[in-house]
Amino acid sequence: MLWLYLHFPHLVLDHIRRTREDQGALVVVEGSGQKVIQACPEARILGVRSGMRLKTAISLAPDLGMVRANETQEVRILEDQARWLYRYAAHIVLVPPDGLLAEIGSLQKLYGGLPAVWQTVEQGLNERQLNAWIGIGYTPLAARLIARAGKGECTADKDHILRTLSQMPLLAAEFEEKACTRLQRLGLNTLGEVFDLPPGELARRLSPELLAYMQKIQGTRPDPRTPWQPPHSFRQQADFVQEIEHTQGLLFSLQRMLAELEEDLCWRQQDTDSLRLILKHRHAEPTRLQIRTSGPEHRADHFLNLIRLRLEQHSLSAPVISMVLQVKRFLSREAPSGQDLLGETQDLNEAWHTLISRLQARLGDQALRQLSPQADHRPERAWSASEVVHKARTPRTPTEELPRRPLWLLKGPQPLTEAPTVWFSGPERISGGWWDGQRVHRDYYIAQLNSGQLAWVFRDAREGWFVHGWFG
Amino acid sequence: MSGLQYAELFCFSNFTFLTGASHPHELAEQAHELGYNALAITDVCSVAGIPRAWAALANSPVKLITGSWFELSDEPAGATFPRFTLLARTRKGYGQLCQLITTGRRRAEKGQYQLYYRDIETHTLDDCLCLWLPPSPTEANSDQALACGEWLARLFDHRIWIAAARTLESGEEQRLARIRWLSDQLRIPVTAVGEVHMHSRERQPLQDVLTALRNHTNLENAGHCLFQNGERYLRPLPVLQRLFPESWLHETLTIASQCTFEPGSLRYEYPPDLVPDDETPAGYLKRLTREGERRRYPGGTPLQVQSLIRKELGLISEMKYEHYFLTIHDIVDFARSQGILCQGRGSAANSAVCYCLGITEVNPARVELLFERFISKDRNEPPDIDVDFEHERREEVIQYIYRRYTRERAALAATVIRYRPKSAIRDVGKALGFDPALVEQLLEGIDWRDKATNWRQQILDKRVTRNPQVADQFFTLVNTLLGFPRHLSQHVGGFVISAGPLAELVPVENAAMADRTVIQWDKDDLESLGLMKVDVLALGMLSAIRKALELISDKKGQPFLMQDIPQEDPDTYAMLQAGDSIGVFQVESRAQINMLPRLKPETYYDLVIEVAIVRPGPIQGDMVHPYLRRKHGLEPVDYPNDAVRKVLERTLGVPIFQEQVIKLAMVAAGFSADEADQLRRAMAAWKSHGDLTPFREKLVNGMLERGHDGDFAERLYQQICGFGGYGFPESHAASFALLVYVSAWIKRHYPPAFYCALLNSQPMGFYSPSQLVQDARRHNVTVLPPDVNASQWDHTLQGENSHLRLGLRIIQGLSANGAERIHQNRPADGYRSASELRRLAILDQRDMERLAGANAMPAFTANRHQAYWQLLDHEQPAELFAREMAADYQPEYCQQLPEPTEGQNVLADYASQGLTLQRHPLALLREQGHLTFCLSAEQLKSTKTGIPVQVAGLVTGRQRPGSASGVTFVTLEDETGNVNVVVWLETARRQRKPLLTARLLHVKGVLERQGDIVHVMAGRLSDLSHLIQSLPVTSRNFH
Repeated sequence: MLWLYLHFPHLVLDHIRRTREDQGALVVVEGSGQKVIQACPEARILGVRSGMRLKTAISLAPDLGMVRANETQEVRILEDQARWLYRYAAHIVLVPPDGLLAEIGSLQKLYGGLPAVWQTVEQGLNERQLNAWIGIGYTPLAARLIARAGKGECTADKDHILRTLSQMPLLAAEFEEKACTRLQRLGLNTLGEVFDLPPGELARRLSPELLAYMQKIQGTRPDPRTPWQPPHSFRQQADFVQEIEHTQGLLFSLQRMLAELEEDLCWRQQDTDSLRLILKHRHAEPTRLQIRTSGPEHRADHFLNLIRLRLEQHSLSAPVISMVLQVKRFLSREAPSGQDLLGETQDLNEAWHTLISRLQARLGDQALRQLSPQADHRPERAWSASEVVHKARTPRTPTEELPRRPLWLLKGPQPLTEAPTVWFSGPERISGGWWDGQRVHRDYYIAQLNSGQLAWVFRDAREGWFVHGWFG
Repeated sequence: MSGLQYAELFCFSNFTFLTGASHPHELAEQAHELGYNALAITDVCSVAGIPRAWAALANSPVKLITGSWFELSDEPAGATFPRFTLLARTRKGYGQLCQLITTGRRRAEKGQYQLYYRDIETHTLDDCLCLWLPPSPTEANSDQALACGEWLARLFDHRIWIAAARTLESGEEQRLARIRWLSDQLRIPVTAVGEVHMHSRERQPLQDVLTALRNHTNLENAGHCLFQNGERYLRPLPVLQRLFPESWLHETLTIASQCTFEPGSLRYEYPPDLVPDDETPAGYLKRLTREGERRRYPGGTPLQVQSLIRKELGLISEMKYEHYFLTIHDIVDFARSQGILCQGRGSAANSAVCYCLGITEVNPARVELLFERFISKDRNEPPDIDVDFEHERREEVIQYIYRRYTRERAALAATVIRYRPKSAIRDVGKALGFDPALVEQLLEGIDWRDKATNWRQQILDKRVTRNPQVADQFFTLVNTLLGFPRHLSQHVGGFVISAGPLAELVPVENAAMADRTVIQWDKDDLESLGLMKVDVLALGMLSAIRKALELISDKKGQPFLMQDIPQEDPDTYAMLQAGDSIGVFQVESRAQINMLPRLKPETYYDLVIEVAIVRPGPIQGDMVHPYLRRKHGLEPVDYPNDAVRKVLERTLGVPIFQEQVIKLAMVAAGFSADEADQLRRAMAAWKSHGDLTPFREKLVNGMLERGHDGDFAERLYQQICGFGGYGFPESHAASFALLVYVSAWIKRHYPPAFYCALLNSQPMGFYSPSQLVQDARRHNVTVLPPDVNASQWDHTLQGENSHLRLGLRIIQGLSANGAERIHQNRPADGYRSASELRRLAILDQRDMERLAGANAMPAFTANRHQAYWQLLDHEQPAELFAREMAADYQPEYCQQLPEPTEGQNVLADYASQGLTLQRHPLALLREQGHLTFCLSAEQLKSTKTGIPVQVAGLVTGRQRPGSASGVTFVTLEDETGNVNVVVWLETARRQRKPLLTARLLHVKGVLERQGDIVHVMAGRLSDLSHLIQSLPVTSRNFH
């Protein structure tokens, strides 16, 4: 077997950089924000290295762009790459967080030689604007070490590969730290010098695991790898370093994502009639858009037109930090349409789900809402109407602990035009919200008006009187 | 509203951390402003805010009441969790309160407390008043509330009230109804309270921020954790009148009138243990002083000293400070008996009495000038003596104090850890939901020395927020939060010792360190209440001096003590004048090394000045150059008048010390003694929260009016600001100068002992062992490598020529026990093989590997690679008493392993010991032709000023001192010594990368010279770190 290894030195950064035009220095920062994990070439020119403290990095490059690391995001992006590689090679192995293995021994014939395989892969990388270092070896570990050391060459010559491995410095050979220190202390500098030690002594004086590792690199011990299976749905995500404020800004990334979708559908030999687009915001709930085509479809430009139309009607509620395109429903290209969607729904949950879906389809997503209380002292923010979800998201506050509020809260406070006849309770003072620009400072009262209605009225900091709701 | 009176009985200060949003003094001042009758500070299980509130109310008719708030961790049967405030009625009640707080605090982790209802039943609280905050209807049903009230009413009899607040929040009507009902049922009166969390409503945003932080969330998600409004502030009287029934308001006065305890009445009661039964404290102190006199002056006490002693003893008696001196004498006496070196410093330490008592070695006969400021009678300021002990043995002294006075009577003073700019920005940023990475970026971008704080613009620039309003809010919040206390930590060594149980004087709580307890007050609090503390501090140099004296005694074959060191030795001063001071106490920093040849100290008092002059005070006041000019006769020494002459004569008319500056404010600017004292306090507090600007005008105008030079006045003010950060009084400099002299003398006359003792006292001082060893070799000390057949744990001096043999302690990671066994179990003719060593010294694999890495087995291993190969063989003879086999002594040899190169050995030495005795890496690189045009440190000395030069070296120091306006000083080390590189701000900005990251730096620059001091003014910097790797071995961390 011959293995090809793709090492992505800064996959997350590539992923982000291809969604923006400005190519300034960019780094990935670990979760707690203290350390740089990945640095793009521009950042490296300025002296920023992975493993460096963020403090130092910033003093080297004051205008550094930063992205927070996110493990699931990394795996997801890696899987995206596995998906297209899968079109060329059947045996793919994920090596998180930044590597992919492909068995290419069987491909050589298909493509007419190793150079053709190499070229195909490189082209795929270029199309996707990805940086990867390629390595070839007769074992998965050999291919990986060569790729990660940047010593990959388009050759299947056994001696040549072995020479490359032998000259590899110890530090590049990915020993566990303790073993590496020990080997260094013995004065050894290259992998070849370790290969030369008597195997028995190596196992006895260092460790059997170390010997096993050596043998796996050399191929004298099996190193089985579980092949990756492609998922049943399509999902692509674009993450933005700078928030996108206008729908126009989304189209650039959408084009690429839809092209990938088209490729994916072609490869699946399937169509779809329903796309889901999720726009994530920093503070607000995500915006979810369901795009339906009139019939089975797979062409990117068709999808793009539909989405563009949809976005034109829909101005962004908040700046977008990332965008997800999802397809879960695949239609066989030949399959007859017109199947009964409600076919055999048994359980209630499913029925509820179907009802919601139908209402949404008829009335539009925006028309359907679900009410829930929010932890905020300001009455207008103490509740929310959000998109209908199927599970309760937060434990509810017991009703007796909720403050006394009118059932009918006006959309906005209305000026109070008459002096109330009877005052019932108050004042209840509410003051807060200074942090988000929606500051309130009000004294609330329950009062009866001439008409006999029971009103919730308040006086605000500017001494104005308003009605804010009606009690039943 | 006429005649309306009110006492606030429920008030959190910011000593209820992350809850209270105002300083105690702000609350006090506001209460005064509003015309309250009284104000109780009732922090959560704490009285930490009391002294500050008390100081603020010193000249106010507002009475301060001491109290504390408690929430119990369990509940009496059938009741809810009781929550209440206890107020101290009298001194006795205050003691009871402190005891209860101590119980709660000692039981819990640092910063927490835990009290159970049984505690309330078992502690005597009969002199405390209880204000009960009943549960609201949503928190507990009426039966539970009633049961809780009954339980409290039983315990507090007629000393209980129900506290009613009007916070105007939802559900308040039900809450008040509940209170009226409980009052009826239990026949307990209701009193009005404010549930105060801040002095003014303007603090609501900050209070919200603190609440969010306390709940580990941000404002957006804090929701109902936040209060519904900002009503928990000190309200004006008319507002109170509208909100509360008159009877409830009146009740506050009834309660306040019962509370008569006043913090100022706390008096320190000295432990009587020290005075023998048949003697008075004064008589005993006199006797001890007399005995000391005979020891110090065997030939008879000089007349002038005699009269000094008489004067001092009289003053001590008058102020009743005998116990203080006796306590310190007792501690110092203990240290002496254990052979622990110690030295007192501080104004009262430099007295004839302290010299006789052995507290200081500064002889009053030598430096009478110092002794005018002993104890000030005018100010009620407690005497100030800090005692330094050997850093490795201070713990013995601390344990002695605990033993002698018991933990009930001795505890450390607290240090209040406060918000500083960085922590404040981080926390406010967190609460406002800023991205932490952006906040870090912001912090990095702020130039902290740039006093014109343009953060607001920077916040907008950095896109932390786009909203200018939020940026303003952020700015305001950070500024307000600055100086807020965050938590109590332990003081470095300030002990409070009392006659009775300490917990009745001040609550005691746990420190983070196991077995350490701290009181709830810090040193300023103690000072404002006139309580005394004893400072037991650690000083590394004392350890080193003691060890050096022992080595000298060994060499001489007879004891050699500190007092045997000859005074005013010209050779020692000559050495210091040449700037040869690495390792010498206090004058070893780069700035000091530069100053020594300029100041040219010739006497002990010159050293006192040397120690004090390289500090922010004199530097910011631009007093250094005038002093040097006058010292070297380049400028006449003159004084405007006799009063000033008296203050400045000993420093040639130039103010150097903090004491002089304060004195000068009096004689030259007309400050009263009281104002001068305020100035002194403001300087001490300046770093955290003080403000010196009010004094500026007074100082400058006062001096102008009295005919002084305006420029001089302005400089004096700058000097005061400089002292603000790092005050350094003459009395401390005098004690330190003594140690400067002693350590310099040892370095000059016994260099092997000097370096050996310093190395054995690490970590301490400015320099790494590597730098010390290099300096030792430059002083012709032979240094030998660690060897299992020759070394002990410590470094030792060997043979007639005092060769310095490095000890096994230099090997990083080697266990002390293992090393000790290597020494103890060593056969007479040494170890003969690795396996014998392993067997006899019972070493584990880890220790063996460290020894191999250090090449510490030269007798039986060919080189470190082969040594290591041998060790990796895990098969051991099964039985412990296995006969020695001949094979033991025929080490296995592995052909495949390469021989180490010189470069490899050098790097391996650094990795294992942090130093090498082989050639310096720079020598190797030079030999290999990597540094063709670079001059060595040695060559620089004979190079002409002003010509372009190139240098290269390992970066051993990067400093950006606050007093040097953006200049970075880089120290480079090569095989011949150190090169001083000066990098101007502009150069640094353009070449950040090499400046910040290079381990081996190459500098093109211009040579400059000031006297004997050589600098390279940097132009082009380049990073040559890769050359270290090119020493033929792959990367290993290199220091």
